Amino acid sequence: MRTSKLISFAIVCGLSTGAFAATEVIHQQGRVFSAESVTARKGEALTFLNDDSVPHNIMSVSKGNEFNLGSQPPGSSVDVTFKQAGEVTVICAIHPRMKMNVKVVD
Amino acid sequence: MRPGLVGTTVSYVLAFAMSSLAVGVASQSFGAALVGEVRQVVVQPKAAADADALKAQYRRPAATPFPKDNPYTPEKAALGKKLYFDTRLSASSAQSCASCHSPSYGWGDGLAVGVGHGMQKLGRHSPTVINAAWGDIFMWDGRLATLEEQALGPIQSEGEMNMPLDRLMKRLNSIPEYKTLFANVFADEGMTPQTLAKAIATYERTIISEGAPFDAWVEGDEKAISDEAKHGFALFNGKAHCASCHEGWNFTNDGFQDIGLPGDDVGRGQFVPGVIKMVHAFKTPGLREIARRAPYMHDGSLATLDDVVEHYNWGGAARPSRADLMTPLGLTDQEKTELVAFLKTLSSNLTPTSAPVLPR
Repeated sequence: MRTSKLISFAIVCGLSTGAFAATEVIHQQGRVFSAESVTARKGEALTFLNDDSVPHNIMSVSKGNEFNLGSQPPGSSVDVTFKQAGEVTVICAIHPRMKMNVKVVD
Repeated sequence: MRPGLVGTTVSYVLAFAMSSLAVGVASQSFGAALVGEVRQVVVQPKAAADADALKAQYRRPAATPFPKDNPYTPEKAALGKKLYFDTRLSASSAQSCASCHSPSYGWGDGLAVGVGHGMQKLGRHSPTVINAAWGDIFMWDGRLATLEEQALGPIQSEGEMNMPLDRLMKRLNSIPEYKTLFANVFADEGMTPQTLAKAIATYERTIISEGAPFDAWVEGDEKAISDEAKHGFALFNGKAHCASCHEGWNFTNDGFQDIGLPGDDVGRGQFVPGVIKMVHAFKTPGLREIARRAPYMHDGSLATLDDVVEHYNWGGAARPSRADLMTPLGLTDQEKTELVAFLKTLSSNLTPTSAPVLPR
């Protein structure tokens, strides 16, 4: 049991470290994603930084990489790690003009 | 990852998060991307734009956008206009697009909610078609992606024009002049539901608000609007933060927000399930010709612009879906008056629209 706890802990820490190691930052200023399309390795994170003046709701319904950041206030940043290779469409639920593509590769 | 391990990880993520708040911990979500913790970031607020820079954000565009797969031709727009005003597009032959989107009422209908087939009231306010050429997404709930798709929606909707497309095409085919017009405009495609939609959408894209006093002021005529309206414009972009959503020359970013109007219509929530901020969210309408378009809001529940400003000043009904931008504004009576004065400067001297002579 103790071993399994340690493994779990290591996984958690590993995930956190992975998240913090994110280098690609997607900005949202002016209701626009700073990149129309990026490539990320599976298990690698993208940072979604709301440096805009209004809340955003960044999400994806692309299979295997679904996420929903909920209402993200200005001045906040969240890492998203993609788990499955493939094309991911990321949108802002609030602002339909905001749309980007993430190509997740193995 | 083995299922057993997944379960263990979840429980430890939770336990770890609770026991050690000082350390950042990733939260887990399975069969999906992994979302990390929220971090606060210092974002330098942009310096408030000076008056000229602000005005520049509202300058009218030089040209009307038409999609590549449905370019403008005068003949197509003229055919679309006939179809738009033709009541035979409805099952009852009593309703046209113009019944609910009428030039006499700022291209709406002046009613709280639309009236459809059999004089039945619809659930929502008829939106204007003004400046639809710049729309990114259509309907109050954004369920249609293009103006072409939108054109066919109300025709077929049982509650609205109640006209199945196959029946409509037979009816139009029995009118010789329409056959000729379609053949001229769509030589390759002929008369189909798609070409019908293309013609109507092309006509709709020509329905554009004309130069208003506000535009003259933006272009440098200081006397075009009152000082009261100028103060209102500053409030619109400042204290009242209307421009967070009603931005740009057409005064909308086509976004979806729950602005806290009472009612159980879930709006955009029906099409974006599981996203709390989309429940009761409706598309931000543009504000051109707004003084001609009472009553207001997706449900037509507010009779005047004063009522609308009062609603935003209140902040709307508090509920989880309500937009975070909806907070009480603390406007003075003078400021409310100034905002309304500004909104009235968005009405243009609309050239009267002539009704077309229809093929028989």
